[in-house]
Amino acid sequence: MEVTDAAVVAQVLAGDRDAFRVLVDRHSRSIFRVIYRMTGNQQDTEELVQETFLRAYKSLERFELRANFSTWLYRIAVNRTLDFLSARKTHMQTKDTYQIVDNPDAGDSSQIQLSATGPGPDRLVLSEEMKRKIAGALGLLTPAERVAFTMRHMEGRSIEEISQTLNLKASAAKNSVFRAVQKLRQQLEPYAGPGSPTRPVRWGGSAVK
Amino acid sequence: MNHLSEEQIVLHYYGDADETADVERHLAACTECRAEFARVQSTLKQIEPIEVPEPPASFEEKTWLNLRDRLPGKGGFLRKLFSPQTFGPQQKWALAGAMVMLLVIAFLAGRFWPRPMQPVTQQASQVNPQRVILVAVGDHLERSQMLLVEIMNSDAKGPINFSSEQAEARDLLDSNHLYRVSAQQSGDPQVARLLDQLGRVLAEIANGPAEVSPGDLEQVRHTIQSEGLLFKVRVVGSEVNSRVRRPELSGSSVNQRL
Repeated sequence: MEVTDAAVVAQVLAGDRDAFRVLVDRHSRSIFRVIYRMTGNQQDTEELVQETFLRAYKSLERFELRANFSTWLYRIAVNRTLDFLSARKTHMQTKDTYQIVDNPDAGDSSQIQLSATGPGPDRLVLSEEMKRKIAGALGLLTPAERVAFTMRHMEGRSIEEISQTLNLKASAAKNSVFRAVQKLRQQLEPYAGPGSPTRPVRWGGSAVK
Repeated sequence: MNHLSEEQIVLHYYGDADETADVERHLAACTECRAEFARVQSTLKQIEPIEVPEPPASFEEKTWLNLRDRLPGKGGFLRKLFSPQTFGPQQKWALAGAMVMLLVIAFLAGRFWPRPMQPVTQQASQVNPQRVILVAVGDHLERSQMLLVEIMNSDAKGPINFSSEQAEARDLLDSNHLYRVSAQQSGDPQVARLLDQLGRVLAEIANGPAEVSPGDLEQVRHTIQSEGLLFKVRVVGSEVNSRVRRPELSGSSVNQRL
């Protein structure tokens, strides 16, 4: 029978440092996927996976043994990534705006990589162009908006999970998701298919009560 | 008719809008808002989840190898016992007090309790107070060793928050005094000398600033190194533990030093 995560944590806390490897083996791939969706860069993601586990190890005394280790680790990963994106954003403001690249091996943390697959050969050109636009639009989000949008839109996490992970009120988590979508619409709807453009903007002041 | 706000439409797309029934009723009745909802839907559907490349087969191995040398050591039994997840802060202090009391009682019992004249074999199953103290001293040295190792391996590129190490040193300092006195009284100069040296270093750590500079850290390390303290703690700790494991210590023939 497989030893539970909580039992492994207890083993590490008792002084068996090498037991931590079991947790790395079990969770590093899922954490890689979570972080990659937010950074879009493999090299940054690999480093952040290590940082996540290091931070988890150092905070292991604060882990409640009855809690779910993967949820706890997920929170650390998201927050570590948020810190990273914030630091990168600050750095980029003094340099350039995001550069869009196709080559996932380029490795520059300032570049946003594009998803490698498209819907089909017939729509390839349009699809690739749209991916560029989407990547560019995602790059304009603030780190908090990007993380909240990724969690809600790409991972299907609930508002409650987002607010707990980012330590926000539910209203603030909703607002982050909304602001992200609002910015994405501004960037993408001019290129969207039938149905565009949007109606004249007068949203926000005349809501249904 | 009031239209839905953009926020209501976007949140409704994700099923997160308040008053969902009102929003749905409005969408059913208002073509303009329905068209806007369709545009939001169309845009968001184009944003597919980013496809994540599969990390290489050796990813876990590589992560662990990069990580392993950066992991500081964790404490042993006592540290686990005193961790926040085992006991809350108040319970922790109560437990610490109870343990000290237990040690004092065990020590006094060992010294003053009348020893009945019974066969050795009968006594072998009874708890020996000297053994209790030896076990406690072994744990104390193990905890001290972990603390010293942590300090020796700390990253010293900038100011370091030393508060957790200080708290640990203060805890250890209290019990260190008790064990040193016990060792002196039971005629074990080797352990008493070591605990005396250890006490001075623990006091230096416990009474230092909460945030230490690389220079301060270097000074503490120098003290630990110049006295060969870490080595002595390891050697004596190992000797104490081997004494605990000796079968004769669990019987009445314990006339050995602490």
